[in-house]
Amino acid sequence: MRAARKLILGETWTLPAAIAVSLAIAGVADAVSGSHGWWHDAGGFVLLALVLAGLALALRPARR
Amino acid sequence: MAFVLTLIGAALACGLEMLEALAIVLAVGLTRRMRDALIGAAGAALVCALLALALGPLLLSRVSIEPLRVVIGAALLLFGLEWLRKGILRLAGMRSPSDSFKEFVEEREALEEVQLPAPGEPDWAGRVIAFKGVLLEGIEVILIVTALAARPGGLAPALVGGGVAIVAVIAIGVVAHAPLSRIPETHLKYVVGVVLTTFGVFFAAEGLGVEWPLSDAALLYIAAVVLGFSQLEIASLARHRPREAVGA
Repeated sequence: MRAARKLILGETWTLPAAIAVSLAIAGVADAVSGSHGWWHDAGGFVLLALVLAGLALALRPARR
Repeated sequence: MAFVLTLIGAALACGLEMLEALAIVLAVGLTRRMRDALIGAAGAALVCALLALALGPLLLSRVSIEPLRVVIGAALLLFGLEWLRKGILRLAGMRSPSDSFKEFVEEREALEEVQLPAPGEPDWAGRVIAFKGVLLEGIEVILIVTALAARPGGLAPALVGGGVAIVAVIAIGVVAHAPLSRIPETHLKYVVGVVLTTFGVFFAAEGLGVEWPLSDAALLYIAAVVLGFSQLEIASLARHRPREAVGA
């Protein structure tokens, strides 16, 4: 069970949580901006920034 | 562009996972009996094949294209970011390098302590270890290849990439275990992390209503941003590195 969890989610909860939060924010932004709003053109860069912020967060323990 | 990147991503991801499985099978085979190691590995390969046959068509037939892209993107991000995180830590010197040869030696030493059954009797310990090793690595391969193949036009490059990896790893296994020690696994896994993360962001955004500027060529600038960001993290972490490197 532990091996399966590690296989799917990895060694840290930070990354799965960051991915879930990023996608949730992106989903809300998509719904709020409409089908041809700002999200349609620039949303990808916002999602990229959110994902990289999640990666930076997952690397924070290594700096301590 | 998408074809080439999908092929590279599938080939590298499959190759590296299968290399780890090969290390376990070789350790069992050379320490105990090759026949039992191959029986365990074949059983796991059969389970993986059944899973692949069920998962691919199920995803494609039951889930509509937009949610499917988000699901694929999330799966690729889960794997890609984890590989990238480990790659950054390794390249910054804060984690032991990835080394299938070392795993092979450690597995072999551990197996030497388990007594072999009498000749003619099945070696269940060896079979189970080979089965578990191949199954866990195989499931990861299936999830990555299925995710890469599920995009329109992604099936051919993902399968070709996976096929190239299978042939290459079997060739390494047949020739000898020595070349395992010469493969730059740490760098290759870091590259896979960059490629999978790139595809993950690209697919997930498409599924959430984004139209990328320059269409498929967006994969190039996303990869460049991910690569640049991770290099900055490596440089930054290397400056924070304690005098003694942290183990895996």
